[in-house]
Amino acid sequence: MTRALSFLRGLVHLWPVVLVFVAWDAWVVLNGYTSTVAPRPFPVVTDVVIGFGEYLPYISYTLGVALVGLLGGTLVGFAAAVVVWSSAALAGVVTPAALIIRSVPITALIPIIARIVGYGDPAVLTSTVLICFFPAFVFTLSGLAAIPASGHDLFRVLGGNKLQVLARLGVLYAVPNLMVSVRITAPTAVLAAMLAEFLMGAHGLGALFSESRSYMDMERAWGVALVATTVSVFVFLGARALENRVVARVT
Amino acid sequence: MSTSTIRTAQAEVDRPAARPGAAVTIRGAEKVFSLGRGRTLQALAEVDLEIAEGEFVAIIGPSGCGKSTVLRLAAGLDTPTNGAIEVFGDDPHRLAKQHRLGVAFQEHALLPWASVRANIALPFQVAGRRVDKARVDELIQLVGLVGFEDARPKQLSGGMRQRASIARALALSPDLLLLDEPFGALDAVTRRRMNAELARIWGEEKITTILVTHDVDEALILADRVVVMTGRPGRIRKIAKVDFPRPRGFETTRSPEFHDLVDELTALLDQVEGVDD
Amino acid sequence: MTAAARPGTAALFGIGGALLVVVAAQLVGQFQLAGRAWPPLTDVLAYVTTPAGSGLLLRNGLVTLTAAAQGLLLGVVVAVFGAALALVVPMLRPGFERFAAILNAFPTIALAPLLITTAGREDTPMVIAALSVGFVMFVTMTSGFANVPAAHSDVLTVLGSSRVQRLVRLELPRAVPSFFDGLTLSAPAAILGATIGEWFGAPKGLGLLLVSAMQNYQMPLLWSAALVATALSLAAYIVFVQFQRIAVRRFG
Repeated sequence: MTRALSFLRGLVHLWPVVLVFVAWDAWVVLNGYTSTVAPRPFPVVTDVVIGFGEYLPYISYTLGVALVGLLGGTLVGFAAAVVVWSSAALAGVVTPAALIIRSVPITALIPIIARIVGYGDPAVLTSTVLICFFPAFVFTLSGLAAIPASGHDLFRVLGGNKLQVLARLGVLYAVPNLMVSVRITAPTAVLAAMLAEFLMGAHGLGALFSESRSYMDMERAWGVALVATTVSVFVFLGARALENRVVARVT
Repeated sequence: MSTSTIRTAQAEVDRPAARPGAAVTIRGAEKVFSLGRGRTLQALAEVDLEIAEGEFVAIIGPSGCGKSTVLRLAAGLDTPTNGAIEVFGDDPHRLAKQHRLGVAFQEHALLPWASVRANIALPFQVAGRRVDKARVDELIQLVGLVGFEDARPKQLSGGMRQRASIARALALSPDLLLLDEPFGALDAVTRRRMNAELARIWGEEKITTILVTHDVDEALILADRVVVMTGRPGRIRKIAKVDFPRPRGFETTRSPEFHDLVDELTALLDQVEGVDD
Repeated sequence: MTAAARPGTAALFGIGGALLVVVAAQLVGQFQLAGRAWPPLTDVLAYVTTPAGSGLLLRNGLVTLTAAAQGLLLGVVVAVFGAALALVVPMLRPGFERFAAILNAFPTIALAPLLITTAGREDTPMVIAALSVGFVMFVTMTSGFANVPAAHSDVLTVLGSSRVQRLVRLELPRAVPSFFDGLTLSAPAAILGATIGEWFGAPKGLGLLLVSAMQNYQMPLLWSAALVATALSLAAYIVFVQFQRIAVRRFG
């Protein structure tokens, strides 16, 4: 009962979203736009609901690429951070470089990857992996760096090696950080996948979007925007739930 | 037993409240805090207290006895669950809105980005009045911060910060001054020096003052009356009149009478804490 | 001794790391390890130093920088105002927070068609930059406003302050370090947002340059445009980090 009530209260707090829809509708009507310029919200929502089957393959492709990229990038970033962490000199050299590479805007990275890997699926996947790699790397490394000296000393006294420190303490310190990186990169992964698809892919929401735009199917194009937003929000919520669960488990 | 007799006796004196000349009147004040999930904590149980205009009252008691709650009620920062509190015959909120309150906490709560002078000028700005530069300078002199006007709080020592905080509380010559353990975080030596300075400042300004402290000596050096509170829920255990002549220098604090009173009140606090555990 | 030596060592490692990246990039290009699409860095630099190249990059870089700066300004103003409004009118807060979270998850690319019809091709980069900035600033300002110590708040209550006075005298100055925190995160987001906007048919800008260089297989141009975009992003970040340090010292 209270659960249902708090759910309802949660819905009430979505009023800005409702406001956006109302403003959108009013804007189209007041400017007298035809549907080829800007469609009204209702036909767009109808297109999404009725044509959901047509959207589905595109959604699953984008979602798949984003998740694989997120998983792959995070794992590679974690592994790279552990390797780098085991050597202080290496960490000192690689971390600033990683920070600089992290500043490369996705919009600059994707065209270059497209040219190096070649147009198509591998380039889309490489882009998302690369974009998730750097945050995972940096966050893991900062987590490992936060292992207190006393922890290291304890294991030295007990005659443990670096691997044991990693297994016992590293997980404790790095995994929560890694999950933060997953939470903040998850929506970025979807964005990166869509950007890459838009630019070169034949699949996915980004491709559907550029396709419907060139056919002047504005309801479909705006529908893609709506669906992409929803997917992205759910990916974010999922990542946050995962973070909470993993952090509760580890700490 | 004795607690209840004291309370009845005191109630007989205090209940016909809001006499002319009463600055603060607390009648049957209760305060219950909600801890969430239906659990509650009773911080105060039926507190009656009357403070005359121009009087300095110290409230002492063990931590968690609700003495700060009494002060927060008088400041209008909390409202009683039951009972009533009047300050100069009015709601405490009204007094705050009329900018007639001064307050200093254990955490000095000075604005870290503002200089000493700007911090002392803050009450003028909040009241929408022109900053009275002469008054600010006078206060800086009064609390002995000449030469530190332009320093920022983190450049000052703990004692200096508390002096600035007290100067801020005095800025608008408030009708009621509320001090919540203002020297609680200071070392013993600095604390005694601050006690002496506060006594001197109070001697000059004669503002109705409530001081919350857990230091019996501090209460006896400064107050006209000392209210001893017991904990959980907070009740008034005893009200002691302090008749030592002012200024209360070493002759007073070294006198046997002073020590007897310290011992008596300390014993009360000990007893209270014994009961509490 | 060690305390003095440590920052020096860190800087040395940093320079070493940067050099490593540069040398590696050069070698990969030199030996065509990644194909023709990865030119040697020297080729890229040679292109940047040609008058035609530098002129093109400068013109488009300025367009992107302007769009990003305008977007940053707009996003910051709206977000700070929104956070302040949510603070003064607590009823609005949950709705604002949820909306900001949705905006954050919003794939900005999805906005492009809307914006091109509404804001026009010229202003789209600025608006996307503003949206990218808005969420970050809103979140940092909300948390900055929230960490006002209770004692400070009590003092202002007892002094009889109005809600607006509390905002001006306490919460706004208190949130200054958070404001600059937000800016360090927002500045790269603004550059990214502006370039995304430029992908969608803006008449000028680095984003346009990147897409057209890719499509026309102009590798030195593509790489140098990426280099300029990265440099802008990094420079904005470093500048705001300095501001943030000053702010923490002054208001912390």
